[in-house]
Amino acid sequence: MNAFIYRLKSALSCFVLVALAAVIPALAQAQPELDGQPVKALTSSSSGALLVLRDSGLFAIDGNAATEIPLPPSDSGAQPTSLAKGADGTTYLAGPGLGVWRYNSGNESWQSLNNTLPDLEVTAIAAHATQPETVYAYLGEKGMFRSRDGGAEWAKVDAGPQEPVQAFLHSDMPGSMESGWLFAGTTRGVARSMDCFCFWGDAGDLRGTVSAISYDPAAPENVYAVVEGQLHHSTDGGETWASVKTPGTVTALTFSPVKGFVTAVEGGNLFAHGDGGEWTPVYE
Amino acid sequence: MNKWIGLLILFVVPAVAIASGRSASTDPAPANVAQGQQIYQQYCAACHGQQAEGAANWNKPDEKGEMPPPPHDETGHTWRHSDAMLFKMIAKGWRHPFNKTDRLTMPAFEDALTEQEIQSVIEYLKTLWTDEQRTYQATESQ
Repeated sequence: MNAFIYRLKSALSCFVLVALAAVIPALAQAQPELDGQPVKALTSSSSGALLVLRDSGLFAIDGNAATEIPLPPSDSGAQPTSLAKGADGTTYLAGPGLGVWRYNSGNESWQSLNNTLPDLEVTAIAAHATQPETVYAYLGEKGMFRSRDGGAEWAKVDAGPQEPVQAFLHSDMPGSMESGWLFAGTTRGVARSMDCFCFWGDAGDLRGTVSAISYDPAAPENVYAVVEGQLHHSTDGGETWASVKTPGTVTALTFSPVKGFVTAVEGGNLFAHGDGGEWTPVYE
Repeated sequence: MNKWIGLLILFVVPAVAIASGRSASTDPAPANVAQGQQIYQQYCAACHGQQAEGAANWNKPDEKGEMPPPPHDETGHTWRHSDAMLFKMIAKGWRHPFNKTDRLTMPAFEDALTEQEIQSVIEYLKTLWTDEQRTYQATESQ
């Protein structure tokens, strides 16, 4: 009898262990919204997954599954704050104390692009909309740097707008003397320059600290900026702006080839903007 | 004799270029510069200034909503453009896309100037920039 009870207990223990091993990872993947931490930056990967940068790490959300992407090695003071997607789908990550890194999805590793940057205090990055090897980095008082070879060589190209840049964007909106436009979210509003860095001027009368900026690649005159949590939309390349109702205070935004226009709101939830102006949760 | 002339060119020309404080590779061709300056004064100075200083408040739209003519000296942004882009803008003209009017605020000069004359104006403009700006522009032109 004792032997039977012992075998029964062993079998139950094994069953419970196997069940836990199967269920826990599935729970972790299926409920990314449980994280609850604010989203610092958004972009999408070459496969179309949403990349979500939170205080707790970087996550790829594909359907209802979330997979954590380990952050690159860095000093304890490093703060990952910016994501950018290159014209070939490459993911770039940057932040103060971190510099600029490129993700290799093939071997799931990060490559440092900091060899020729003057320091690691990068507060914003942008990737060229059509030239895969061209990347821009803003280093505060040290100015704006550009690499045309995927981050191997950086060269200072400009001092940047008068006010510090919080968010950075390259757009292939037509009309530039060169290959596109740069939009910089500053503490004053949105600054705009052709990508020859001719000069930075105000993009309209939107005033306040801009924390995030994005544009619609399918209709590049449509630019979106977040000023103190409020989303604003320009249909004319930044000349005029109108506020947009959102489900909450916006912390990050991006255009995803799969989900369309996506915003992250305070609390960490993600919403996609429908054609009729409605907001729907990105995952259930 | 030819050997001595060759050696003279090999050593003296770079030395003169270094002594003048400019890179030989970014120096505008002197013969074109005089012609370019004369053409600039005739066709460009009325809008961009006798000293290429540009219009006052050139970096903000004027009362018509047009961007005023910018300077071409070291205070402007002409040096940020490649030779090909500068040539295109002089030949074909330019309208800033956010101007409130539709006209070409920078007129097209392809019917008034030959290609060589346009190139000479560009060579003259290069003399108005700093060494650093000339080097930057030479890189952009590659």
